[in-house]
Amino acid sequence: MIAEVSSPAVERMGVRIVALLLIIAAVSVFMLWSVNPVGGGSETTFALFLAVDLVSVAMVSYVERAVSREGRLSRAPLIAGCCFILFLVVAGFYLFS
Amino acid sequence: MGWFDSRLGLSHQLLRPAPQYSINPFYWLGALATVAFVIQGVTGGIMMLYYVPSPTQAYATTQYIFQTVSYGTFLETIHLYTAYAMIMLAFMHLMRGYFVSVHKKPREVMWVTGMVMGFVTLGFGFTGYLLPWTIVSKSATDVGIGMMGALPQPVASFLTFLVVGSGSDASELLRFYDLHVFVLPAVLLVLLVVKMYMLEVHGVSAPTSGTESLTPKKKKLIPIFPDVSFYLVELAALFGSAVILISVIFPLSLSPEYSPALAGQYVAQPDWYFLWIYQILKISAFEEAGLAVALTVVTLVFVALVFLPFIDRGKTREIHRRFVYVTLGSIFVGEVAVLAAWGYLTPGVAIPNETAALVLGGTALLITLVSVVAYRVVFGGLGLFTKGKGHLKAPEPNTQPSSAPKAVPAKSAALWTSCVFVALVAAGAFFIGNSVSGVVALRLGGQGAVQSLLLSLGGLTLTVVSTLYFIYRLDLGTGAIKRRVRAFEVGWRE
Repeated sequence: MIAEVSSPAVERMGVRIVALLLIIAAVSVFMLWSVNPVGGGSETTFALFLAVDLVSVAMVSYVERAVSREGRLSRAPLIAGCCFILFLVVAGFYLFS
Repeated sequence: MGWFDSRLGLSHQLLRPAPQYSINPFYWLGALATVAFVIQGVTGGIMMLYYVPSPTQAYATTQYIFQTVSYGTFLETIHLYTAYAMIMLAFMHLMRGYFVSVHKKPREVMWVTGMVMGFVTLGFGFTGYLLPWTIVSKSATDVGIGMMGALPQPVASFLTFLVVGSGSDASELLRFYDLHVFVLPAVLLVLLVVKMYMLEVHGVSAPTSGTESLTPKKKKLIPIFPDVSFYLVELAALFGSAVILISVIFPLSLSPEYSPALAGQYVAQPDWYFLWIYQILKISAFEEAGLAVALTVVTLVFVALVFLPFIDRGKTREIHRRFVYVTLGSIFVGEVAVLAAWGYLTPGVAIPNETAALVLGGTALLITLVSVVAYRVVFGGLGLFTKGKGHLKAPEPNTQPSSAPKAVPAKSAALWTSCVFVALVAAGAFFIGNSVSGVVALRLGGQGAVQSLLLSLGGLTLTVVSTLYFIYRLDLGTGAIKRRVRAFEVGWRE
């Protein structure tokens, strides 16, 4: 079994963040399939949503590692990751529309 | 996670656990290069569905991928940029390993394997570059193949036959394609397995300062799953998103198709990772008959890197005790960067000998100077003639009244040291340059070349002796040589 060293409060916060990230990842996967591959600028839109997916995966992995092994979550990587995702999502939807 | 673990036994330790201090991107540069290789495998596999390796169809099918296949440009761009990233990561992995001395016992074979993997990676770049059959790629590849002809005869014939075959365009393209998609991936995969096995045997290398000074938390061993695996997933995902973003910002465009008529108007230039070698070959002294000398010099650099574990046999790994190797490594990185940038800015322009000596000598000089000053300021000395921890007892305090002259102020001493070093390195660079010119002139059968060569070698010997004497004088202040002589007389005291 994996040793859990986190407090319940940190773990709850981790679960919420992971849930949010999974929703973002699911939406971006949906968008990947919705992009018209022959439309103008479709490659850029596709690439941006793919990047959103990858950053979400990286953040979920970080949260899992930090919560279960270190017992704490640093704010800086989370804020940086969220800002990056926000930028990519806005750019992606802008191009999509 | 616990659910998966209890069902699949993921945390059952098959692989050696890694220390906590290895949770650092610099420890996983090789892993990121492997991620780049996997991405290339996937994108390359998709492109293989459309690409036809024949001179009449290669360009048309590449164009088809770009213009007609869904996300074709994205696919091509990702394939190219991950190739660039793989080469850059492999180089960073090599230099990081060099500076922290991972090549030392017991990782010598691991180092040699890694170097061979590096050459295979460059082989990927060389063979893949030709496949689109554009004017840029074909011209640059022809330059590369032409250079092979200047190598010693059995090697030249073998390499040329290996990559060109019968000599026709069709044969050349097919050979490159086969090497790129079958031979080199197979070789790299085998070497990867061998290297992973050796990593499993020896584990992650310790920091250069040893593990004694680390906190227990840093020294703690953590399992490959989930800790290290999750960390690698983070790195891989961030790497992937970075490559995607770069490919969005700088999408690839296809150059015109190769034709012999167009080739005459185009200045052949290799891709950036071979530019430094190409720039060396553009130096006037190395033109025509001198080409073999230049290729020998480049080959010797690679051979020295491959056999580094058997050349640098000192036991210490601490950077502050490896002034010579750290400075040599820095000069190598600096020269490669300068040559590549210079080659990019001067396509097809021959480099006069004097300019080459000035730029290359100046770069070496500057880096040496920075290194000397950095070692004196950061580490308090060059760390020459000193042993690693535990080898030599610390000097006992001198209780006798000293009759030594008054100590020179530190700033003045540093300035004096720097000036003498600059002068010695300048003289060394000058005599090395003259000696190389002399060798080239000898090959060309120039009159009076022997006399010039002998004079240069004499000057070089004098400079080396002066440098050794200077280092000896420098070290007198620290008493390390005195202790070493004493140790020779009475033996090392643990």
